[in-house]
Amino acid sequence: MHETPTREIFWNIRHIWLTYALLVPMVVAFALGVWNHVRRWRAGKPIERTDNWQERLRGFFVDAVGQDQLRSGDQQAGLFHILLSWGFVILFIGTTVVFIQADLRIPIMHGWFYLIFQSLILDVFGLGAIVGLAVALYRRYVAKVPRLTHGLWQDGFLLASMLIILITGFLVEGLRIVATSDPWGSWSPVGLATGRALAALGIREYGTQLAVHRFLWWFHMLVSYVFVGYIPFSKMMHLFTSPASIFTRNLQPKGRLEPLDVENTEVLGVKTLRDFDWKDLLDLDACTECGRCQAVCPAYAVGKPLNPKMLILDMRRQLTEEIGGVPWAKRELEPRPIIGTSIEPETLWSCTTCHACVTACPVEIEHVAKIVDLRRFQVMEEAELPETAQAAVQGIEDRGHPFRGAQASRRDWYADLPYVRELAQVGQAEYLFWVGCAVAFNERAQKIARAMAKIMHTAHLDFAVLGDEETCTGDPARRIGNEYLYEMMARQNIETLNNYGVKKIVTTCPHCFNTIKNEYPDFGGNYKVIHHSQLIRDLLAEGRLPLEPGKLQELEKVTYHDPCYLGRYNDEYDAPRAVVDALGVERVEMARSRQKGFCCGAGGGRYWMDDEPGKRINVERAREVATSGAQAVCTACPFCMLMMEDGLRTVATEQGTTERPVATRDLAELVAEALAEAAGAREGEAGAALGA
Amino acid sequence: MHIAVCIKQILDPEISPRAFKIDPVRKAADPGTASLVIGPFDLNALEVAIQLKERHGGQVTALTLGSDKAKEALRRALAMGADQAVLIDETQVSAKEPSVTARVLAAAIRKLDPVDLVLTGRQSGEWDFGQVGALLAEELGMPFVPFVPRLDVAGNGLRLEREADGGVVVVEAPRPCVASVTNANDNVPRLPKVKDIMMANRKPITVYGPGELGLGAAEVGDEANRLEVLDLFIPEVKSECEFIEGEDGAEKGANLARKLVERKVI
Amino acid sequence: MNIVVIGWGGDGHAPSAAVRELLGGARRLAQQSGGQVIGAALGGAAKAATGMIEYGADRVLIVDHPALAELDAEAYAAAAHVVCDQAGDALVLVPGDRLGWEVAPRLAHRLAAGLVTDCLAVDWEGGRFVMTKPVYGGKAMAKLAARTATQVALVRARAMEPLEPQTGRAGDVEALNVNLSPGRVKLLERKQEETQGQVRLEDAPVVVSGGRGLGGPEPFRMLEEIAQLVGGAVGASLAAVDAGWISPQHQVGQTGKSVAPDLYIAVGISGASQHVAGMSNSKTIVAINKDPEAPIFRVAHIGVVGDYKEVLPAFVAELRKIKGA
Repeated sequence: MHETPTREIFWNIRHIWLTYALLVPMVVAFALGVWNHVRRWRAGKPIERTDNWQERLRGFFVDAVGQDQLRSGDQQAGLFHILLSWGFVILFIGTTVVFIQADLRIPIMHGWFYLIFQSLILDVFGLGAIVGLAVALYRRYVAKVPRLTHGLWQDGFLLASMLIILITGFLVEGLRIVATSDPWGSWSPVGLATGRALAALGIREYGTQLAVHRFLWWFHMLVSYVFVGYIPFSKMMHLFTSPASIFTRNLQPKGRLEPLDVENTEVLGVKTLRDFDWKDLLDLDACTECGRCQAVCPAYAVGKPLNPKMLILDMRRQLTEEIGGVPWAKRELEPRPIIGTSIEPETLWSCTTCHACVTACPVEIEHVAKIVDLRRFQVMEEAELPETAQAAVQGIEDRGHPFRGAQASRRDWYADLPYVRELAQVGQAEYLFWVGCAVAFNERAQKIARAMAKIMHTAHLDFAVLGDEETCTGDPARRIGNEYLYEMMARQNIETLNNYGVKKIVTTCPHCFNTIKNEYPDFGGNYKVIHHSQLIRDLLAEGRLPLEPGKLQELEKVTYHDPCYLGRYNDEYDAPRAVVDALGVERVEMARSRQKGFCCGAGGGRYWMDDEPGKRINVERAREVATSGAQAVCTACPFCMLMMEDGLRTVATEQGTTERPVATRDLAELVAEALAEAAGAREGEAGAALGA
Repeated sequence: MHIAVCIKQILDPEISPRAFKIDPVRKAADPGTASLVIGPFDLNALEVAIQLKERHGGQVTALTLGSDKAKEALRRALAMGADQAVLIDETQVSAKEPSVTARVLAAAIRKLDPVDLVLTGRQSGEWDFGQVGALLAEELGMPFVPFVPRLDVAGNGLRLEREADGGVVVVEAPRPCVASVTNANDNVPRLPKVKDIMMANRKPITVYGPGELGLGAAEVGDEANRLEVLDLFIPEVKSECEFIEGEDGAEKGANLARKLVERKVI
Repeated sequence: MNIVVIGWGGDGHAPSAAVRELLGGARRLAQQSGGQVIGAALGGAAKAATGMIEYGADRVLIVDHPALAELDAEAYAAAAHVVCDQAGDALVLVPGDRLGWEVAPRLAHRLAAGLVTDCLAVDWEGGRFVMTKPVYGGKAMAKLAARTATQVALVRARAMEPLEPQTGRAGDVEALNVNLSPGRVKLLERKQEETQGQVRLEDAPVVVSGGRGLGGPEPFRMLEEIAQLVGGAVGASLAAVDAGWISPQHQVGQTGKSVAPDLYIAVGISGASQHVAGMSNSKTIVAINKDPEAPIFRVAHIGVVGDYKEVLPAFVAELRKIKGA
C-alpha cells in the first residue's frame, strides 16, 4: 500500500507488437486522407491568409480551442460539443502518456500525476464525452432539431463508434480494476463503478474477467484505429479543417468584398470550383454540417431555394466528384460550371447577403463572399440575372440610381429647406450628408432625409449635400455581381468627394455607410464615415438636441429592427438603441435581434427582385414586429423602413385588424418628432407626422 | 444576312418629371445632369437584329445620327452584339424633324454593304414622331412593316409578326425591307457581358459627314426641315384627387362603386 | 386652304368614329381657315361617302380598288396621294390608328409635306395650322407648324369632336378611277384577334388597367370581370407587360396605346409619366393603390388608398347590387 500509485501498462495483453503492426495501416490511411484534402485545396487560387498570425492565433484559441462562437449560439449544442471534443482531447492525451511511458520509457505514470490526471481526470472527461454523445444523439434522433437534416446516417455511425470506444474503454478499465483489486481504483470512479457493475452482473470469475478484458481491449483498440483512420474520409475531418479555417479566417472588415481587377482577370468571378481561392475550398471541407447557417437564413426561413448549408455541401460534393474524395481516385473530371451543376441560379439570387450565416458559422465559413463570386460570373461573363435586377443595374449605369421609374430628383427633398445647402455652393462643410438613392428618390424615405437635416440644423452642425453630384455608391451593383459597374461608380464618387476635400461623411443608409467606410478605401477613398444613429447618439450625449418629453407619448413601446449592414456587418447595435432609449419610450426587443437580427429582405439587390407571394422575408419579419407588442418599429435604414412598412401592411391585411397597424419610423424621424418646438420651429413639418 | 439598325441617343426617358426642364431658346429639353441613353424601341430593334444574327449568321451594323457623344450609344450596340458601328456626324446637319433624319440615314445605308433588312424602333422615345421607318422605306424604295415584335427568315424573304388594327397579323415581305420594332417579352434588350463592353470600347467606329454621303445644304441644311417648333412647354398638371373614405379596403371599394354611379360615370 | 380628311374603315354607310371626329375637327378649322373640307373615302369607306358629307365634308372623293381590300398601307398611301393631288395645297388629316401611322409618313414623303404625328390638337393660329403633340414621354407638349404648303397631321383618337350629322346635307361625291398596284407585303395569317368579343382598348368607354402592384397574372382575371361588367376593356402598364403577366397589346402608355375613355381605373399602377401620357386625357381617372405617395394620385380624380385585393371584390359586389336594383 506504500508503493507509488501507478498501474501496469498492457496488463493482461500479449502480442503487443500487433498494436504497432496495426498502427501502420491506420497511419497510412490517415495520412493519405489528409493529403487528399490538401490536394483538394491546392486546386484553388492563392490568397494571403497567414498574415497577422498573432490575431489569427488569438481567434484560434478563442473559437477553436475555447469554441466561443460555437457555444454562444446554441447552449445545448455547445455543451455537447465541448464535452465531446474536450473529452476526446483529454483521452487522447491519456493515450499519449501511455505511449511516452511504454515506448519512450519515460516513467511519468506515477504518483499524483497518475492519480489526478491519468485516473481521475480521464475518467471524468470520458464520462463527460459520453454525456455529450448522449446529448448529440438525443438532438438528432429524439428531439429532431430541424437544422440537423443532413447526413444523419453518417452521424449515427460516427456517434455510435465514439460511444463504443468510450464504453469499451470504461469496461476494460473496470475489469482491470476489479480483476487486479487495484488499490487506487477509487481514483477512477467511473471505471470502478463499471467494474463493480460487471461483477454484479455475473462476471466474477477471475478467468472470465481476464478473457472478457482481453477481448474488449483488442476490440476497443481496433475500433479506435479504424475510427482514426476514417477521420479524413468523414465529416470528423472537421477536427482539423475547422481550426484551420478559423486560423485562416477573413480578418478584413466584414463588410468588404474583395475587389476584382476586371481589366486583367481571365475569368470574372467564379465559374468552376478552381476559380475559388484555397480558403474557399478549405471552407467546403471545414463545414461540420451543423446547420446553424440554415437555421438563421431568412431566405430558407420563408421557403426560398437557398439553404446556406446545402450550398456549401453541394459544392463539396462537386469537388469530390471532380477531384476525388479518396487519394487514389485517378479520374480528374473536367471542371464544370458550378451554376447548373450543383447550384441552381434561383438559389444564387435568393441571397440577401444579410451575413447571418457567416455570423452564425462556428468555423468561419464565408458563404456570402462565395455567393457574390458566383454572381459575378453570372452577371459579368454570362449576363444571366433576374430581369428586375438587370433593370436596377441598368438604372445605375444609365442614370446613377437603381430606381426605375423614380418620379423625384435628388434635389426634391430639400427644395423647401433653405438650410440644406449643396457643396457646389458652399465649397466645403464639416459634414457631408450622403443622402443615398433610396432616401432621395422614394417619397416616403425622403422624410428620413428631411428629419436628419432638421436634426443637424438644430444641433448647429455645418453640413452640406452633393445634390445632383451624388450618384449610387455602387453597392447594389456590387452585391448583384457587377463589379465592373461598381468600380466605375466608386471611382466617380471618390473623385467627387476628394475634389471637395470631404473628410467626414454622415449617412442614414447602412448600405452606403458600409461601402464607403469599408470598400472605398480600396479605391482611394478614405473618410470618416458616420452612421446617423452614431451622430445622433453623440449629439444627444453632448446635449445638443433638446428633446421634449412626452412628444412621442402615443408610442408606449417601440421595437428596434437591426439593419444587417449596420449590425452584423459593422457591429453597431448600441448607438440606435441608446437613441431610442433617450426618447422616453419603452424599447422592447424582438426575439431575433442584434447579431441574430432577421433581415428585412432587401439586401444583396433583393430589393429590386420579384418575390413570390408567401415567400416574402419582410412579411416574416413584420409578423415578428406585430407580435412584439410595439406600436412602432424603429429602423435605421431606408430599405428596412420601406420593407417593414410594406410587410406590416400585408400583415395587417392578413389579420384583418381594424386597429391601426404598427407604424414604421426611421430613427431620425422619431428624433425629429421628439425635438422641442422652439428648436426646430422654422422647419414646420420636417419631422414625420406620426398621427398621419 | 446584313441587318442595319438605326438607333438614336435620347434624353433618358425616365428622367423624373420634376427634374425635366426646357431650354426656351433651343426649344428642346435641357439635359441638365440627366443621362443620354438609346431609345427604348431602338434597343428592342437591336435585340431583334442580334437574335436574328444568332439564328442565321450574318452581321449587324448599328447607325446613328448624332454628336460625338452618340458614340456611347454605338459602343453599347457593339457590346450587345453589333459588328460595325457608323456615326453620322450631326454638326453639319440640321435634323429637326424626321424627314431630314431619314434622308441622312438612307444615304448612309446606301454606302454600306447591301443590306437585307433595315430595323428602327417604332418611335424614338423623345419627340416620338414615329416616322423614320416609313420614310426610310420611301427613300430606299423598300417595303415597310411597322410595329413588329418578332420576325424571322422565311425562304428568300422574311416572315414578320406585326401589330395591326384589329390584332396581331403575320405578314411576308421580300428582302430587303424596312421594319420598325415594338417591344415584346422576347425582345427585351440584353445586358451586355462585361467582356463585351470592354471589347466594344476598343472597336473602331466609322464616322461620316454629310459631304461623304453626298448630301448638301439643300438636303440637310436648316431649310430642309419641313416643320418648325413654335413652342415647347410643360403642361400643368393640377392635382384634384378626391380620396374615398372607409374603415378598410372593402368599405372603400363599396364607396367607390357608389361614387362612380353617383357621378354617372358608370 | 382646303382640308382633306382621309377616311377608311367604317361601318357600312356610317363613317368610322375616327373619320367622324376628323370631319368635325376639319369643319371647325375650315370655318377659320377658309377652304373646303374634302373627304377621301378609301376602300371600304366608299360606302360611307354620303355619310361623310352628313358629318361635315363639302366634297368626297372615292377611291375604291381591290388592292384596298386588305389594310395594305402602300396601296392606301397611293390612293390617298391621288386624292391629295386633286385637293391642291391642303391640310391633310389622317386617323391615328395603326394604318394611319403607316400611311401618313409615306403620304407626306410623296407630297413632300411636313407631317406631325400623334396630334392632340390642330388649331388655326396666326394664319397657319398649329399642331400640338406630346413629347418627351408626355412630360412636355410641342406646338409645331409646317413650312410646306401641304401638310399632314396624324390625329389621335378622341382628340377632335364629331358634329351632329345633318341628314341631306349637300355635297359632291365623285369616284376617282385609279389604277393601284398591291403592296409588296403580303398578309399570311391573322394571329390573334385583339378584342376577342370585347371592346377594342382604344374605343372602350371604360378601361380597367393593372400594373406591377397586382403582383402576378391571375389578378388580371378580376380586372376582366370588371371590364365585362361595365362594357370596358383591360389595359396594363409597361411593368405588367414586361413582367409577362399580360400581352403587350394591352399596354397603355406613351410606348403602348393611347386611350381616352370616359372612365379609366388604374389598379396597382404607380403612375410613371410614360404610362400617364397614354391615359391622361381620360374623362374620369380612378386610382387604386396601397401606396398613398404613388404619383398616380396626382393625375387621378378619384383615389382609393388600399389593397386592391380588398377593394375590388367589394367594388364589384356593390356595383352588381346597384345595377341589379
